[in-house]
Amino acid sequence: MVDPKVIIRMGSHAEKDYIEKTARYLDGIIVGANLFEATPGATATLLGKRLNKPYYIDPMTYAYGRNLDLIKSPQGKTRELDFKRSYKNLSEKLSQPFTSALRKNSRVTPKDFEGGLKTEKCCQAVMEYQLNRIKEKFDEDPEYKEYASDIPNPAAIYAPYFYIEPNNHDAWLDLVLLLAGVSAGLKYDVPVHAIICTDQPMLDYPNFLSKLKSELPRTGVEGVWFWFSDFDELTSDVERLKAFRSLVEDVSKEIKVYNLHGGYFSLSLCKYGLSGVSHGVGYGEQKSVVPVVGAATPTVRYHLPDFHKRLGVPAIQRCFDSLGIKTPDDFHEKICGCVVCKGVVSKDLAEFRLFGDMAYSTPISKRLAQTPAAAKRCRFHFLMNRIRERDELKEKNVEGILAELDAVEEKWSGQVSVKDDMTHLSRWRQALA
Amino acid sequence: MDDTSDFDRESLLLKPVAAYFRRKSFRWQEEELPFYAHRVDLYGFSRVSGRTVAVELKLHKWQRAFAQVILYQLCADYVYIAMPANSIGRVDIDLLKTHGIGLLSIGNGGRCRQILGSEQSTVVCDNYKDIYVNILTKGEEYKW
Repeated sequence: MVDPKVIIRMGSHAEKDYIEKTARYLDGIIVGANLFEATPGATATLLGKRLNKPYYIDPMTYAYGRNLDLIKSPQGKTRELDFKRSYKNLSEKLSQPFTSALRKNSRVTPKDFEGGLKTEKCCQAVMEYQLNRIKEKFDEDPEYKEYASDIPNPAAIYAPYFYIEPNNHDAWLDLVLLLAGVSAGLKYDVPVHAIICTDQPMLDYPNFLSKLKSELPRTGVEGVWFWFSDFDELTSDVERLKAFRSLVEDVSKEIKVYNLHGGYFSLSLCKYGLSGVSHGVGYGEQKSVVPVVGAATPTVRYHLPDFHKRLGVPAIQRCFDSLGIKTPDDFHEKICGCVVCKGVVSKDLAEFRLFGDMAYSTPISKRLAQTPAAAKRCRFHFLMNRIRERDELKEKNVEGILAELDAVEEKWSGQVSVKDDMTHLSRWRQALA
Repeated sequence: MDDTSDFDRESLLLKPVAAYFRRKSFRWQEEELPFYAHRVDLYGFSRVSGRTVAVELKLHKWQRAFAQVILYQLCADYVYIAMPANSIGRVDIDLLKTHGIGLLSIGNGGRCRQILGSEQSTVVCDNYKDIYVNILTKGEEYKW
């Protein structure tokens, strides 16, 4: 049994406020190296000085092994499609084979690593990037130079990793394991971790999972972060949830295991050996390897603590009457008593609507959108609850988690406005039992 | 049996339904009123009774309409699902009755028939209702 860690992934500097205000309760911060390269000064200052928390830099090497158009956007005055500045800068820092991939406009493949020397150089560059990038940035700045030597190392450094394509999983997995093994062999003072990034249907392949279970510990890495693309704990079937639990349970007997994009179900796998979970400040408890481009800003819904899931405000409000919630005190007792909820729903139960407040964002907007203030309330409420969930899990055993899921199902049974939103509870129960 | 070919779009149901509720004294009406992520197809207010009604129009998928109107009970005194006559047979009338949801059938030619009356919502919130009544009667802008 492990005390689970909650590590927040910063998706942009717009999220800085959430992270700074909740940092003292969090176990760590993770940033993508592409974000670092887009805003090197601000990211270095935040991680190296302001937060004073364990941090991780995801080297994002997988992006160079995917369709390279996914890391392009219109650039310059001509708006011609070209590589994003952040990925271009990152490739230069990571050197081969990443620079040549961009130069040739041809993605990295396992063939690029045929020849041992190149592999070692690549691992070295990727890990030294994570170790030194913040210090390097401080060194460049006369105002911060004196602090450079005091910058703590990352909590762990990641070996280069790539997306393990399901239709060629043997070759890709062998490469990722090779990179993990070579990286671990370089003997840095900081723990070396691997990232296993693949598609969620790979959880259905026993041979693939067996290979992970047996080969990962042999690489010598101290930890592994799983990222099953689009693996959504809330909608996933029982078999996949069980397969993930089994993977965690077996691998964690030898090395530390994290979920790179997970939620409460993953967090509760601490009872089966999971060391921690990372996710974003408002959403991001699952992530696709295909980046979302051009989609409308999603509404940040209210995290219903009982369901460990976000729901629309009216679906929850519709249940107040039959749950016996008549006053703010009832709300704090039966829905949520976090500091955010006590502040928002303070005088009148109707104030709950403030979590879903909508407005026309411009005078010509035809569609209502969630107000920034409402989104902010939802995010802070979510973070406070995630911290509480983590703390409560430390005190619970599996039986306690299962009993809580049962009690929640009983409490909310018969509530028609949320009945389709609670189907995950029984699947979680089966997968955790 | 009526033919749905008269109603190949939900919007075609609007005119007869709006006329039906005008006859029932809900003369103040607005289409497509936003309620969080949803849009109430027709929202009406009766100055005579001081009551409001929210209507969801659907060609076939009554379960989706049910999921929406159950939420509209927060912002309207009465809620209805309105569907073409030949889709009505698939609706679980008992479920609607249990939750106080009304059902309207629209026949060819636009004749509306109440299959089930709506009951007064027990969860309607004055703050939502007042906003909509003010939008309808005073032309106020949508603002919570």
